[in-house]
Amino acid sequence: MATTINSGVYRVVFAGSLIFTFSACSVVPVQPWDRDLLAQQKMQLVADPLEIYFDEHIYFSKEASSGGQGVGGGGCGCN
Amino acid sequence: MSSLKPSQPPPPKILGNIRRQLTAATCTLLTCTSHASGLIASGDNWKIDSALLLYAERDRVLLAEGVLHLSKEIDDDEYINTRIVTDVLTGSSPNGAVPSNTPQTFTNPSGNSTYTEPANKTPLNHTFKDFRNAVNVEWGAPLTRDLRGTLGGNISREYDYLSTGISASLSQDLNQHNTTLSLGGSWNEDISNPVGGVPVGFTVMPSAPAIKALSGSDANKTIKELLLGFTQVINRRSLLQLNYSRGQGDGYLTDPYKIISVLSNDGSGNLRTINPYIYENRPRQRIYNSVYLKSVYQFNTPLLHENVLNMSYRYFWDDWGVQSDTVDMRLRFDLEGGHYLQPHFRYYQQGAADFYRQTLIDGEEITLDYASADYRLGRFTTKTIGLKYGYEFFNGAEINFRVEFINQNGKDRRQDAVGLLRNQKLFPDNEALLLQGGLSLDSDMIIEYVARIYHKLF
Amino acid sequence: MTTLEQRTHYFVGHFNAMASHCEVLIDTYNKNLAQQITDVVAHEVTRIEHKYSRYRDSSLLQRINRGGTVQVDSETAQLLDYANQLFQLSEGRFDITSGVLRRAWHFDGSSNIPSKNDVKALLPFIGWDKVMWNTHAPQIKLAKGMEIDFGGIGKEYAADRAAYSVLALLTSQSSIVTDNTAQNTSVLINLGGDLSVTGPRTNGEGWQVGIGATLPPQKGAQTGPPPVGTLHPSSPPSFTVTHGGIATSGDAHRFLEKDGVRYSHVIDPRTGWPVVGAPASVTVHADTCTDAGMLSTLALLHGPDAEDFLQAQDVPFWCLK
Repeated sequence: MATTINSGVYRVVFAGSLIFTFSACSVVPVQPWDRDLLAQQKMQLVADPLEIYFDEHIYFSKEASSGGQGVGGGGCGCN
Repeated sequence: MSSLKPSQPPPPKILGNIRRQLTAATCTLLTCTSHASGLIASGDNWKIDSALLLYAERDRVLLAEGVLHLSKEIDDDEYINTRIVTDVLTGSSPNGAVPSNTPQTFTNPSGNSTYTEPANKTPLNHTFKDFRNAVNVEWGAPLTRDLRGTLGGNISREYDYLSTGISASLSQDLNQHNTTLSLGGSWNEDISNPVGGVPVGFTVMPSAPAIKALSGSDANKTIKELLLGFTQVINRRSLLQLNYSRGQGDGYLTDPYKIISVLSNDGSGNLRTINPYIYENRPRQRIYNSVYLKSVYQFNTPLLHENVLNMSYRYFWDDWGVQSDTVDMRLRFDLEGGHYLQPHFRYYQQGAADFYRQTLIDGEEITLDYASADYRLGRFTTKTIGLKYGYEFFNGAEINFRVEFINQNGKDRRQDAVGLLRNQKLFPDNEALLLQGGLSLDSDMIIEYVARIYHKLF
Repeated sequence: MTTLEQRTHYFVGHFNAMASHCEVLIDTYNKNLAQQITDVVAHEVTRIEHKYSRYRDSSLLQRINRGGTVQVDSETAQLLDYANQLFQLSEGRFDITSGVLRRAWHFDGSSNIPSKNDVKALLPFIGWDKVMWNTHAPQIKLAKGMEIDFGGIGKEYAADRAAYSVLALLTSQSSIVTDNTAQNTSVLINLGGDLSVTGPRTNGEGWQVGIGATLPPQKGAQTGPPPVGTLHPSSPPSFTVTHGGIATSGDAHRFLEKDGVRYSHVIDPRTGWPVVGAPASVTVHADTCTDAGMLSTLALLHGPDAEDFLQAQDVPFWCLK
């Protein structure tokens, strides 16, 4: 089916470009004294927990997919 | 405010004996500082995040939700987080039936009244009114120098639904804290207590006042999830996260309020004349998986200096035949003086569940095992575009606003659009507006503000 | 999270803070007292870390660095006054705005030297004299692109402040603790190599301290007063400390090397370039850990003249070439 192949291609291209972006950077262990940027709130995987909470709540009740970022937090009757 | 005079270019000589002056300066620093000065950012206080959300769909539901998030660091790296949520939902939601060129009359879930929907419009159930309260508590602590654990519990209560759950996780730091492996699990027990009872799948929606076939007054489901995570610090300004999660739902996974239109078998696209609506019926088990890839990157280029790009991609699939891709991007632009702007873009595409049917043909309900006309199991895309503005007006204190536009657009199943229905848009496309306002403070700051006001007044 | 470990004649408290393994050596047989002292030290060090860490977005320091006029409390005001005095005293060698240079310099052992232009482009954002600091308000405002950090004094300051907290605890405890020697309990605080001692041990012994690879310190016999002057040890020396503070500057693992020139991670804020020809590390013993840290840092900034500088200060010191 053409649509399946297309979306498969998108997936590969997207994941590939992400991994390429990172492999292009040099991977050097970051020492504690060089962690000033990584320690910033805006550099956290979830920078604003409430924003992500709202997004997950809304899309959980409007789409068939959920999760991926973590476990727990609880369900509701909205889906 | 006075600035210091620029110092002369220092001569390249060795300083003489500065020890006496140094000792005097250090003595002032160490002994003249009052110890009770920990009021600002002492780290020993509660951090309070609060936010209010308004989510409004065009002609459909309106959701108002308030969240209070309290977190406290008990000890170094040991914390407790509490999230309290209250929301109110009102408005209308598609009931699953397809539009028709004549008005349609449906029975309310309670079974004792009817509502009539106009021709050529997606039939909506207008009785949606829900009030929800939820609490989530999480405790996290270091177990060894490189191993951390968390434990959590949650409860969510609506008048027709109760969800309770527990979760736990372990994460191990490796490679000088540059790599983190994590393992998490959660267990949820939900009880659905729908208005008018739990209908038996594929039985007819009776005309009011009538009694529908019930399997009971309530129904349970269990949701278990397991997550394996890998986080890698790439360099000083970027990190990558890769998660695999697997979940299993067992029990009553059907929506008790959703129905399916049943057409006559003459190919006209007209509803069958007797009992044209039946309750949907889904499998009692669902196993789903997702692979989630996320990157956080801080720019170093002159144009985008210190701005952060947060990008994620999720591939989701389940044994109901649903597959989806989600791409999410947030780019944070820091402006001067603690202000920032953050555009957000999200694209979601989903393939339909194997048993997704927009209509059934008379008699099919006998041959099929499962069917649902719930648009959330259909084939559609969701596009989101948004902008957030934040301002940190004091140490650790932030106020922010967010506005987003959400557009859901579905594809109709050609096989289900029979006869007259070819002129109708069967999928209930949706547009929504999201408004969010947030305020973050910490308890010491409140105490200090109150103290300042007190000093000014008295 | 603190842990306590009993040795033959004393207790050792452990905790992690300021990206270091921290130890508290307590000259007592009283386990409760040892635990109390460890907790007081950990609390004070963590308090200072949370307030002034560049690694915590919620710290007051990071608030200052985000720009705008920021009202500060008296402790921060004292630290900024101190930084101001040291900037003057060191003729610009010690500068809390120099951290901006980290954007160009990454001391990862490689040969990646930034270009002259990269470094030059950062110099406008460096200079304490460009900071709007009003000690009377007290308010601070940084120009756009500038930032400050207390990396050069934070750990030493925390060690001394923790020692003061211990003294305050012991003073308040002496009336209720039956053991009336509690007040004189000697405590050594070791924050990843920066040491502060509250006073001599009751049995007349000091704490035996090793330098460099042999840190953390261990208890041992009296070996005489610390030597004054230069040592060129083939193996790191150990000596007994009864008072004051010890600090080490320099890190043998943080450097860049290109065309045979070794660039240490100590950058002269006046030029934006690392000091060449400085010892690999300098250890100083002074009245306080803060003094010791400042002297060892300034010594490194003197490059090949580090030892001459230290001789002029008349303090015990050790240089590792």
